[in-house]
Amino acid sequence: MLSLTLKDIAVSYAGLASPVLSVPALQVAAGESVAVTGASGSGKSTFVNVVSGLEHVGEGVIDWGGTDLVRLAEHRRDRWRAEHVGLVMQDFHLFPGLSALDNVLLPARLASAASSAVKRRGRDLLAGTGLERPGQPVETMSRGEMQRVAIARALVREPGIVIADEPTASLDEESGHIIADLLIGLAGAAGATLIVVSHDPALISRLPRRITLERGQISRDSKAAAI
Amino acid sequence: MIGFILADIRRHKGGTIAILLLVAFAVALAVSVTLQERALRLGSARAANAFDLVVGAAGSETQLVLSSVFLQAAPLPLMEAAAFQRLAADPRVAFAAPIGFGDSFAGYPLVGTSTALVTHLSPQLEEGAGFRQEGDAVIGSAVDLSMGAVIKPMHGTAEEGGHTHTGLAYAVVGRMKQTGTPWDRAILVPIQAVWELHGMGHEEAGHEETGHEEAGHEEAGHEEAGHEGGEHEHSADAAAPIDEDWAEHAAAVPAVLVKPKTIADAYKLRQEYRSGTTLAVFPGEVLTRLYATLGDAKILLMAVAVGTQVLIAAALLLVTIMHVGQRRRQIGALRAFGASRTVVFRIVWLHLFTISLAGIFLGFGLGYLVSDIIGGIVSRQNGFTMPVAFARGDLVFAAAVSAFAAVLAIVPAMLAYRQSPAAALKG
Repeated sequence: MLSLTLKDIAVSYAGLASPVLSVPALQVAAGESVAVTGASGSGKSTFVNVVSGLEHVGEGVIDWGGTDLVRLAEHRRDRWRAEHVGLVMQDFHLFPGLSALDNVLLPARLASAASSAVKRRGRDLLAGTGLERPGQPVETMSRGEMQRVAIARALVREPGIVIADEPTASLDEESGHIIADLLIGLAGAAGATLIVVSHDPALISRLPRRITLERGQISRDSKAAAI
Repeated sequence: MIGFILADIRRHKGGTIAILLLVAFAVALAVSVTLQERALRLGSARAANAFDLVVGAAGSETQLVLSSVFLQAAPLPLMEAAAFQRLAADPRVAFAAPIGFGDSFAGYPLVGTSTALVTHLSPQLEEGAGFRQEGDAVIGSAVDLSMGAVIKPMHGTAEEGGHTHTGLAYAVVGRMKQTGTPWDRAILVPIQAVWELHGMGHEEAGHEETGHEEAGHEEAGHEEAGHEGGEHEHSADAAAPIDEDWAEHAAAVPAVLVKPKTIADAYKLRQEYRSGTTLAVFPGEVLTRLYATLGDAKILLMAVAVGTQVLIAAALLLVTIMHVGQRRRQIGALRAFGASRTVVFRIVWLHLFTISLAGIFLGFGLGYLVSDIIGGIVSRQNGFTMPVAFARGDLVFAAAVSAFAAVLAIVPAMLAYRQSPAAALKG
């Protein structure tokens, strides 16, 4: 469970006049659940890359519970992300040829962190998502089932942060509903700070705080509005 | 990590096998060139081992060795009987055995010689006994004839359109032990019989036959006419006892194997018989010169093999760079889920290096197999054993190729290492 403080963040690309993302200040409390919405091109993906440490930012502050990502070198960010962030993506990014359980445990294994406790937790999480065959090869699964595996993978190392990028965009309505339940339920049970980037109204409406991005700027923040 | 790599290999079986075979064939080519050259060198050196000093009429040293040691059929000028008689009587000579070739039977070379050479090549016979009469024949271990088989000698070889001598039929009386030399395919008969069949027996040295060429391709032509006329066909008495008193009875011979008593004698004899009408050679020395030529050919073949390897390495580099390109998203995802750059580097490198290494191993096996098969064919055709074996140098080659593969795999691994996870995921 980690809190996020963004300060003076500006991401620009050469050839573009205005920055793709510009956040003077943003606070997310530890354990809070936030939806980030906006039209395509509004800077949502950049927001995910910035707060997850995937994209290097030269100036400002990206502080997660006392760790400033701006000041970490790439390999340190990789390690930090492995330990603290559970990622769920629109395209799942599962590895075909491996079973559901092996996919869940792959990041932990690559970081040499697959202890027996992690393995047990992987099995429990898979069972918790309603998947009954942990040994099933992922390429034989439906899209909804694949996203369940991805959620179990995101949570297996008990991260303080769960970041989901359009987790329901490629799913049908029913699967999307199940995924939303699992994501909010499991992240909540783990006490992780949850950031969901989405334009799925059904999913957004279930999250207490909603931030809207427009042309790289925060145009609306339900929490700020409430205050 | 290994599980992840194996899963990827399983998913891309076809491509993996293609890369594996590409590497294996390139390596096998170089390995078989090396093994083959070594086998030929060892095999021929072994074949020449029994032949200390060979003396013949002045002419080509190489041909003298090829004809006497390797029994390669070729026209060779004859050395006059007087020179042979001098050699046989020389106190520095342990024995001097005449080697008269030119006839054949069923594809096996027929060699006229003395009991001394039979004893020298095979101190103990595999079966039977050495020759006692002019009609006796002792066969090499690889000759497919049984004891008592009748041999009707053919002048020259069947392919050259030789004709069968009607003057004498030999009978197999003994078989030598295996020597691993072309002599395993030879049929040894008393030299007297050969002389007599060719109308040279019991004639005094200095006869004009000196210039005549035994088994000559062209020369044999007009001589043949005489044979075919029937009236000039000579005959020999199969039951006549052999007579190895060379001082009394000797005729011209194409080559004489000389066993000197000491090394010093060997050098003196070689010096003495290298002038005028005779030529004395150490087969080992001639072979060394041949090896130098062989070495040049090997360098050329190795250059071709290495060139092939470079081409394949370039192709592999292309394939592996495409491999990384195809896996951009996968690699990006690995990074996104927390795999460090080093882990990604190791995965890509290990993946490609494993396949290359397997290919190199396979290539060595394949190269050995091919050399062994070729060696077997050569043995069957020429009778001399080709010892196909790996040596220390091959280990160096294996290490060098493996190191090259290891370095090559760094390129795509580096590409993967430098990929930004965010950029890779976007694609």
